[in-house]
Amino acid sequence: MTELVVNNIQKWLGGLQILKGASFTAERGSIVALLGASGSGKTTLLRCIAGLEQPEIGTIVIGGKTVLDGDKKLALPPEQRNIGLVFQSYALWPHRTVKENVGYGLKLRNVSPTDIGKRVQAILDRMGLGHLADRYPSQLSGGQQQRVAICRALVYEPRVLLLDEPLSNLDAKLREEARYWIRKLILDLQICAILVTHDQGEALAAADNILLLQDGRIVQQGGPQEIYSNPNSFYSADFLGANNIVSGKVQTVDGKSAVIGGNGWSLNGTVREAAGLGQSQDARAVIRVEQIKVSDTPATDGIEMQLDDSIYLGDRWEYRLSRGDFVVKAHGTKRMATGKVWAQIPQESIWVFSGAQK
Amino acid sequence: MSTHAQAPAALPMTKAAAEKKYPAKMPRHGNASVYRTVVIGLLAIAVLAPVGLIIYQSFLSAAFFSPRAKFGLDAYRYVFTDRNFYKALGTTAVFSFGMVAIAVPLGGLLAFLITRTDIKGKRLLEILVLVPMFISSIVLAFGYTVSVGPTGFVSLFIRGLIGFVPWNIYSLPGMILIAGLSHVPHVYLYVSSSMRNLPSDLEEAARTTGASIWQVSRDVTLPMVLPSLIFAASLNILLGFETFGIPLVLGDPNGIMVLTTYIYKLTTLFGTPTYQLMAVVAVVLILITLPLVWAQRKLLKNARKYVAMGGKGARVATLKLGRGGQVIALSIIGFWLFVSVVLPIGGITVRAFVDAWGEGVNLFAQLTFANFDHLLEVPSLVRGIINTVILSVVGGAVAVGIYLMVGLAGHRNWGASNTLLDYIVLLPRALPGLVIGLAFFWVFLFVPLLTPLRPTLISIFVAYVVVGLSYGLRLLQGTLLQVAPELEESARTTGATIGRTWKDVVIPIVRPGLAGAWALIMIIFLREYATGVYLMGAGTEVIGSLMVSLLQTGAMNTIAALSLISVVLTGAGLALALRLGAKIHD
Ligand SMILES: Nc1ncnc2c1ncn2[C@@H]1O[C@H](COP(=O)(O)OP(=O)(O)O)[C@@H](O)[C@H]1O
Ligand SMILES: [Mg+2]
Repeated sequence: MTELVVNNIQKWLGGLQILKGASFTAERGSIVALLGASGSGKTTLLRCIAGLEQPEIGTIVIGGKTVLDGDKKLALPPEQRNIGLVFQSYALWPHRTVKENVGYGLKLRNVSPTDIGKRVQAILDRMGLGHLADRYPSQLSGGQQQRVAICRALVYEPRVLLLDEPLSNLDAKLREEARYWIRKLILDLQICAILVTHDQGEALAAADNILLLQDGRIVQQGGPQEIYSNPNSFYSADFLGANNIVSGKVQTVDGKSAVIGGNGWSLNGTVREAAGLGQSQDARAVIRVEQIKVSDTPATDGIEMQLDDSIYLGDRWEYRLSRGDFVVKAHGTKRMATGKVWAQIPQESIWVFSGAQK
Repeated sequence: MSTHAQAPAALPMTKAAAEKKYPAKMPRHGNASVYRTVVIGLLAIAVLAPVGLIIYQSFLSAAFFSPRAKFGLDAYRYVFTDRNFYKALGTTAVFSFGMVAIAVPLGGLLAFLITRTDIKGKRLLEILVLVPMFISSIVLAFGYTVSVGPTGFVSLFIRGLIGFVPWNIYSLPGMILIAGLSHVPHVYLYVSSSMRNLPSDLEEAARTTGASIWQVSRDVTLPMVLPSLIFAASLNILLGFETFGIPLVLGDPNGIMVLTTYIYKLTTLFGTPTYQLMAVVAVVLILITLPLVWAQRKLLKNARKYVAMGGKGARVATLKLGRGGQVIALSIIGFWLFVSVVLPIGGITVRAFVDAWGEGVNLFAQLTFANFDHLLEVPSLVRGIINTVILSVVGGAVAVGIYLMVGLAGHRNWGASNTLLDYIVLLPRALPGLVIGLAFFWVFLFVPLLTPLRPTLISIFVAYVVVGLSYGLRLLQGTLLQVAPELEESARTTGATIGRTWKDVVIPIVRPGLAGAWALIMIIFLREYATGVYLMGAGTEVIGSLMVSLLQTGAMNTIAALSLISVVLTGAGLALALRLGAKIHD
């Protein structure tokens, strides 16, 4: 069931257009991630959905109710949108206890005090916070504050839960745990959640659907695997994963395949975006680090390269390879001596894009 | 010709282009716009009505309620041909600039010593230095009269030693000196806060190149605090144009008049109140002060920018004064404190407990409580004390409530109503308390619905609220801005209307700040004397204004007792403010 429809949102701030026509929908029981570099407009888009910012153009429908309509100049304030928002800074009210923070949304909805007590305790227990109900936010750790903030936004069962970088203030270990239980919680409760993040790992692990934002536009959307393995632009390809970027000139193009090369090397790749890929024009290839296999014995389909260094990373080794101005990183399980090696790169993993900067 | 023909054609095009670029903003629903408009509108009426009445009155030939009043420039003609007016105008200018010439260098020096050096006893000095600001200038002026006036304690003592008194405070230089010294805190306040924000690495860099402390201060520190010095100077010129107490006490006996005392004297000059003439002088004052206030606003904005550039986390390294330096610095501050606090307040304290004194009289033999006994026998004086306390304590609290309502109306607000608020708040700054009091006196006298309120404290309270508006609102706005926007936004997304958000989140969080603001407003109301001069009547006396009218009768014993009570009340208010953690600085 579609809980959220966002259509052609355009927003100006301080004389600049921050959002340039973002559209997407989100379903109940699923998580949509808004992923993008810092400054790409994720927070602004989320705040538009929440009603904290009012875009000049576009429509937003939450749970079947139109909350924003640019043409009709309709813009409902946040409190009439039936949403829950978790702020990056958690924004817990310092003068209220955990119980009072969480119960506030129910109080506003005129739930009886006994019911409030029960529901607040239930959700706190569920998040393992039951024993902290009478503490003040300043007496909690960062992870506990974050869970309280999520409880506060969930307890009154909003149609859409909005989370703005909810994990960015946690340390690395907690973050991996948190993205797991947040996903589980949302699926269990069957709510619709929008997760803003600049961390691809978080988006890939937690979301059902990822929207990639660039400069106020959604440049690609799809499931985690789709968006990871099938990027439609250089930006998408480069934003996700750990990548090698290779610059060269187009030698031949033939439909979906292209050969690019440079000083003493050439690569047989797959065309991902045909525009601007003419004979002898500048081209860039994106190769995911994990797609390169390195061996120290000659391989017929391998490119002969120079291994400049092997670096120990704990769980694996990183190889620094070069051949003229063709320089890449790759991973492997063992240490290799510097010198001649062979790199195998499948043609479908060499994604060729135009070299023109966008 | 051709350019004229082109212009209208070009205009719609650029307008269309602009519209294409930035579509119209969405209306902001649920942003309490009705509340904001009503509150700001009411405030506008409260401020603009009296000002409008003054301007209207200035163009009439008689009091505005008189049937003989006709439109015309008679009043202007009279004032602009009166020699005394020009004399007062000239004196006011000399007085203001002279005061600035004393207060700014001294205030800057004090700020430098206290914020940038390792002077001893910093914490105490920071508070002591501000004390003169909290005492009403009429009390201070009276204090100087009884200590260093022609027959003051100190003067008599000196005359006993050397045969004559080498100074005369009943002169323009005397007034300027005293006003200059007592306005040092106003300079200190602004300059010290900008000095605190200076990054000291620049100074250190200059020091390592071998420059001396004084070279560094002159070539590096001074240029960086220049904006705040200029701001402080313009503020003090403004205060100079508005002072009433010091010229009244010290200038009046020798016929030295400034614009405010000129207005005051106009009342008695003709036997009957000449409202139109007073209004004309008030209009002249406003025309001088309004541009000053406007310029200050600009300056303050620039100064803020400047401070922000200095970087917040900058570590302030203090200059080592050394033994000799400590002695000199502490002597300077000590001497200034002696002259601006100990002399007047000491004088008042002694004077309040003696009945008669003169040459050869042993003060200790004269000690008596008679002044206070007498004071308690006069109902109007007792009422004055009670009323002052009520106005300060209760009125101060209500005023904070009003400023809070206005502050909320302007809190995270945009557009025309916000600009209007900004300008309304400036207006009372340009008006001397005497003029605001006069204007409200007229309003309460002749606006039918309000007349029943005139003989009550409410009329004085309303005028006080307007007098304290700029200061109080800035205090409140500063407090409100400390609430992080997300705390309000999270209430909104949780389902609270903006009103609920204010009630449940904003106000509870700012509550400690409100208590501090209350104490500070209380002090402002305690020390006020000029506003009540015209407004007060039988039953609504206040200490400060009682002193103004007692001055005419020369009842020194009573004034001394009232002054001491005023000082003690102010001290109590200050202690309370510090206790409540009021932000006296900034
Ligand atoms: N109030 C504002 N005025 C002008 N520009 C703004 C304002 N708020 C955000 N921006 C700009 O909008 C862009 C998007 O900001 P934001 O939505 O916070 O990005 P993200 O959350 O993706 O990092 C940024 O370039 C930012 O500088
Ligand atoms: Mg953001």
